[in-house]
Amino acid sequence: MAEFLFRAELWTAQYTGIKVNTLASFTRALREVDEDTIYYHLYRNMFEYHFLPTDYGNSFAYWLAENGFPVLAEKFSALDLLECVCIEDMREKMLDILHSEIGGVEKICKPFYFIRAVRRTVDLGIKAKDIKEFREGVEKVGVRSLFYHLVTSRLYHGEPVNDFSRWLTEIGEKEKAEKIEKIDLMASSLYEVREKILDILSES
Amino acid sequence: MLEEYAKFIEEGALLELQKVAEKLKGVKVLHVNSTKLGGGVAEILYRMVPLMNELGIETHWEVIKGDLEFFKVTKKIHNLLHLPGQERLTHEDVITYMKYTYENISYVDTDPFDVVFIHDPQPLGLIVKRKRGQKWIWRCHIDVSTPDEETWKFLEMFVNGYDASIFHIPEFVREGVRIPAFVIPPSIDPLHEKNRELKEDYVSYVLNKFGIDPERPILLQVSRFDRLKDPLGVIETYRMVKKRYDCQLVLAGSFASDDPEGEEVYREVLEAKGDDPDIFVLNLPPNSHMEINALQRSATVVIQKSLREGFGLVVSEAMWKEKPVIGSNIGGIRRQVINGITGYLINSIEGAAFRIKQLLADERRRKEMGRNARERVKHSFLITRHLRDYLLVISSLVEGS
Repeated sequence: MAEFLFRAELWTAQYTGIKVNTLASFTRALREVDEDTIYYHLYRNMFEYHFLPTDYGNSFAYWLAENGFPVLAEKFSALDLLECVCIEDMREKMLDILHSEIGGVEKICKPFYFIRAVRRTVDLGIKAKDIKEFREGVEKVGVRSLFYHLVTSRLYHGEPVNDFSRWLTEIGEKEKAEKIEKIDLMASSLYEVREKILDILSES
Repeated sequence: MLEEYAKFIEEGALLELQKVAEKLKGVKVLHVNSTKLGGGVAEILYRMVPLMNELGIETHWEVIKGDLEFFKVTKKIHNLLHLPGQERLTHEDVITYMKYTYENISYVDTDPFDVVFIHDPQPLGLIVKRKRGQKWIWRCHIDVSTPDEETWKFLEMFVNGYDASIFHIPEFVREGVRIPAFVIPPSIDPLHEKNRELKEDYVSYVLNKFGIDPERPILLQVSRFDRLKDPLGVIETYRMVKKRYDCQLVLAGSFASDDPEGEEVYREVLEAKGDDPDIFVLNLPPNSHMEINALQRSATVVIQKSLREGFGLVVSEAMWKEKPVIGSNIGGIRRQVINGITGYLINSIEGAAFRIKQLLADERRRKEMGRNARERVKHSFLITRHLRDYLLVISSLVEGS
């Protein structure tokens, strides 16, 4: 049986030097920036604010809202990162949304600074070969590890399924796998998500 | 020491730090700044250096030498970078800066290190010592986005010799900096006297000492007596609030004996206070950390109505103590306060008064925002996050080479 290896993704921020102040220049920049920059503004935001009741889902949406584009802000907020397995697809979706806006694209807005995530995945040295060890691992690792296995690892595997559920399915725990996949990560903090997962893993 | 911090973060976060550090074993790091005592940089290094060592990364801290003549020039450079227009950098200033830089080149031994962090402009010129294979990082703690052009031109030749720079927020980065610019906000230390838990008795003692009534709402702004902190605007805000709420205003700060403008602003503030017994203008000695801590803990609402701000870490200090903060919608303040969640971002005196009244009327909202504020700081503005960022920068430079 394959072991589950707990990992975590850490990141720091690097300014790309790209600063825009109109919707038109924002759109142009969004087309050009690298994937780690899109990652930063979508995923980092989702992680940083998972424990707070924020208004919008990502920093693009915040900027759009602040500068008088509430419809675009809502649409950007509604982008479902749990269904995303490829940042390029997300970029295309965002550009499509932006192209639906025809007014005010040259209006001067507050500046938006594009930041790149400098990412590093670390092996935490915690392994599990059965449900008991897996549960202990989930209890011990930090929320960054949960975030990696539940959210961003989809980008590495190219499948819209979280790591925990993939492994549980592999070891024949399909029911638990499905229950974990159904947890709404946008509705709870990662601390609450951890408790839910631990409850599911405790079920006989 | 790491264990002492463990109680503020999760066990898993500590494990992550250890794992990143494991990969950096054998890397020797040096931090260089201009003072061991006083100021935010020294405060952070005082903890950061032992923490890095405890994680197994050999880390040293050196302070450059300089006398009054040198530090007068570096203070001038600081002002010219941060708030240009008041004065000019002269040829004599440049000669003085270079003279002391060359003295420090022989005094500070940077050769044995793989990574060298140079903090702020004072030791910037040491870059000429950079050896092949070393990674040098300029950690800039001030806003250099709109500097005096001549001063920047002088410093730029040094800056571009570095492998990377680090700024608090992207707004502080000078356009055209050719080296990579990391964005790492500063942090607070939960174990510092400024932030650690206090006994109720001590908090009461402090309020009693200054004659502040613990039974009535307290609005607090902690800042130097400086026009850029808009103390007069805070008094005006308080007066608008006072029409409806029987509150008190505490303006706590200090001014150095060699700061004539500070004294002038202090006098203006006293004049604006007039004979209002509910305004407390406290000029405290610079090391009154425990008193400030007590005032923050006893505040009902904390205000930071700056017109311009370095980063404004005092905001995070208050948030850590579960206080909602009404802060100006500028620079570092807007990076700390989440509008409507941990406090409010305001753009005017009227806006500040409106939000303060809302909060005074609603204890439940204050408490909820306070809880959110502490969570925000726990994740984003504690020294452990700062440490992780530094390790990631080192790792990206060392492993990328």
